[in-house]
Amino acid sequence: MAERKETVSFQVNGVERELKVSGSRNLLSVLRHELGLTGAKYGCGVGECGSCTVLLDGRAVRSCAVPISAVAGRSVTTIEGLGGEDGLHPVQEAFLETQAFQCGYCTPGLIMSVVDLLRRKPDPTEPEIRDALAGNLCRCAPYPRIIRAAQLAAAAMSSSGERHGDK
Amino acid sequence: METSESGLTRREFLGLTGGVIVFFAIPSELARAAGESEGGEAPSFNAFLRIAPDSTVTVFTGKVEMGEGNKTALAQMVAEELTVPFSSIEMVMGDTDLVPWDGGTWGSTSVRFMGVELRAAAAEARDVLVEMAAEQWGVPPSALTVSEGRISLTSDTRTCVALGELSEGKEIRRALKGEPKLRPVAEYRVVGTSVPRAEGRGIVTGKEQFVADVRIPGMLHGAVLHPPSFGARLTIADTSRAERVSGVVEVVREGEFVAVVAERPEIAREARQSIRADWEEKPHPSMASLWDDLRSTAELADTVTEEGTVGSVLEAAERQFSATYQTAFVAHAPVEPHVALASWQDGKVTVYSNTQTPFLQKDDVAAALGLESGQVRIVVPRVGGGFGGKTNPELAIAAARLARAVGRPVMVDQTREEELTWNYFKPAALIDIRCGVNGDREITAWDCDVYNCGDRGAEPPYGFANRRVRSFGCDSPLRQGAWRGLAGSAITFAIEVHMDEVASEMGEDPVEFRLKHLDNDPRLAQTVRAVAEAYGWTPRRAPTGKGVGFACGIDVGSRVAEIVELEVEAKTGLVHVSRVVVAQESGLVINPDGITNQIEGGIIMGLGPALREVVHYENGRILTDRYSKYPIPTIRDAPKIETVLVPNPTLSPQGAGEPSIFPISAAVANAIFDATGKRLREMPFLPARVLAATAA
Repeated sequence: MAERKETVSFQVNGVERELKVSGSRNLLSVLRHELGLTGAKYGCGVGECGSCTVLLDGRAVRSCAVPISAVAGRSVTTIEGLGGEDGLHPVQEAFLETQAFQCGYCTPGLIMSVVDLLRRKPDPTEPEIRDALAGNLCRCAPYPRIIRAAQLAAAAMSSSGERHGDK
Repeated sequence: METSESGLTRREFLGLTGGVIVFFAIPSELARAAGESEGGEAPSFNAFLRIAPDSTVTVFTGKVEMGEGNKTALAQMVAEELTVPFSSIEMVMGDTDLVPWDGGTWGSTSVRFMGVELRAAAAEARDVLVEMAAEQWGVPPSALTVSEGRISLTSDTRTCVALGELSEGKEIRRALKGEPKLRPVAEYRVVGTSVPRAEGRGIVTGKEQFVADVRIPGMLHGAVLHPPSFGARLTIADTSRAERVSGVVEVVREGEFVAVVAERPEIAREARQSIRADWEEKPHPSMASLWDDLRSTAELADTVTEEGTVGSVLEAAERQFSATYQTAFVAHAPVEPHVALASWQDGKVTVYSNTQTPFLQKDDVAAALGLESGQVRIVVPRVGGGFGGKTNPELAIAAARLARAVGRPVMVDQTREEELTWNYFKPAALIDIRCGVNGDREITAWDCDVYNCGDRGAEPPYGFANRRVRSFGCDSPLRQGAWRGLAGSAITFAIEVHMDEVASEMGEDPVEFRLKHLDNDPRLAQTVRAVAEAYGWTPRRAPTGKGVGFACGIDVGSRVAEIVELEVEAKTGLVHVSRVVVAQESGLVINPDGITNQIEGGIIMGLGPALREVVHYENGRILTDRYSKYPIPTIRDAPKIETVLVPNPTLSPQGAGEPSIFPISAAVANAIFDATGKRLREMPFLPARVLAATAA
């Protein structure tokens, strides 16, 4: 039984990558075991917990459930690439500000889901926040803080957007 | 390998040159250490701190950080006594080669016991340095002031020295014996403030390392073969197909232990599936007969309390009440599964492991592999949630065995399915309560038997003059063990629903009825009043139809009281908890935001076993082996939570990680009664049970 490998090219955090891997391997495995990006976590392997959430062409996906072949030619953003070289993304800032974590294992996935939500809905209502994050499980359960973090980030992003005149 | 009595190697000791080092111990921990360290000498201390010549402070403790914030709180306590900034404290935790023996991180003990001793050690270190400065300057110690990490002459603060400078490169060792004078609470500047966690930035950037994130060059991944049902014996295993899977390095077999080692975890798992194994399975009791099985196998384990004459007072009571309460088996289900990474060098194995009990695991690994204790080092980075569930050593043992067999580092990590199947569970609990009430509507006799769950929290918080509480051990169909608060959340459910039942039957206000029985515990009474006031409680007789429920409890020295607001969907039986008001008194609060985070998390976690969580099993197999079958609370389930921290700063800090989970399920059950007039005495309050009760 030989693993059939194919060459897959895609962008990760703005950097072009070309890998020879089995096309059925999931994105999470490639990120964690080939690219050394361990911010996205394994929690269930079947897309039920959200701790492996990354952005694929800007949209949140469960990387454990995405075969690498489906990533070819596309762009992946992980928690490591979110804030860029200098500083934190407003959502990361908001999670820090509200201390919206305990153990922190599911936090990167939650942050990516909030980034996706705020891209789709810059000013989400509380029910919209809950709906968007219902697939991100957290057993420590500081959920009320996570809601506050999402609201805080939304406010920060909309005011900075206005300031920069790009809204 | 030279090893000191504490498990510290000589190298590590010598590595600490200069500065003031204070060793200290927690008496109960030492007693356990003496009992549990086989053959080895009992350690004489559990932790130490060092003030280096450059005034940086390092704390060495075997506690681990699992998200509860002990790393932050302990550092705050040290910073306070030394009058240095929080940021100057470094915490070295959970590495068995670097820190002295510790019993593990559980039972809300980090701050309550370790923190209190650590604070005393810091005060001792400060006093030693003050004495040295006094000698150097030829003045009495009372002429000196310590502030901002410096000792100065009170009369002329220009004469001053930084704490660390005084040791002048010499090493000064002190063992904490007495009780050094602590700084007055009124002058606290670090303790009592909501210092954010130092690890926060690492967490939000994904840089904080958990065990699964550790990489060692050349490392491989292992997957252990599991039997199809609990207790099955392996008779035949044909591993030839697994060995031919591309990427498989070796299939290891040591007796009944069979595991695949491969280049990546998914290859190991795929190959594991192609092992052809025959098993001799054994019969298992059915889940349907659980409660009967527990009762029929029960044996008295302990009489927890026996005061007065329960039997005759019960018989003579004006009213008698009795009820049985049940709680299901529950899983820990942390999002981070168990994982261990083992690496051998020169006959010694280092295991990175997400365990709550590194020193117990060290002994377990040594025993399983026939090693000396000094040949095992357990390193615990940040743990992704423990909840009492990460004390079992199987993964660490498996990783150490596999790494030895293949001669390369091996990581063994559990899938979600393995995580929900092969760990121990929170015991199912069966609780019988009988009580008698006199003409003044006071409970005069309390008789409580608890089955299968241990006895944490079994002593009722109320001052019943005649009371008996007994704990019975039973044959459990599932492997069971610690879970946040142990039996306390189950027994508090029984006690607090029963109190609510009696109050309602006697026409009493539920809050007043509790207070009436709390003359014995002014702290709990004050906490009950605090939550009632914060909520705006008005006297009532349940059921009011509003869906408001109350419950309270005591755990790890803390007092906690909760009021829940909920709605019951009449059509579906679904329960929606919309608001929780909680008051908790935990003595001196080290970090208000940290303790609030714990309180909120405990309440929401507790809603899982209250409303939905049940471990289902059949024929020795766990059926609830993924999150969609074992639905833990999501952000949709999170109520609005208002937390009141009842101040009591002159009392030493009490436990904070567990108390809030104690009353929550009773408060929910009592609120369901308030909404519907029906009592639910079995957790969880599934829609079908709610519907059945409301239809009756």
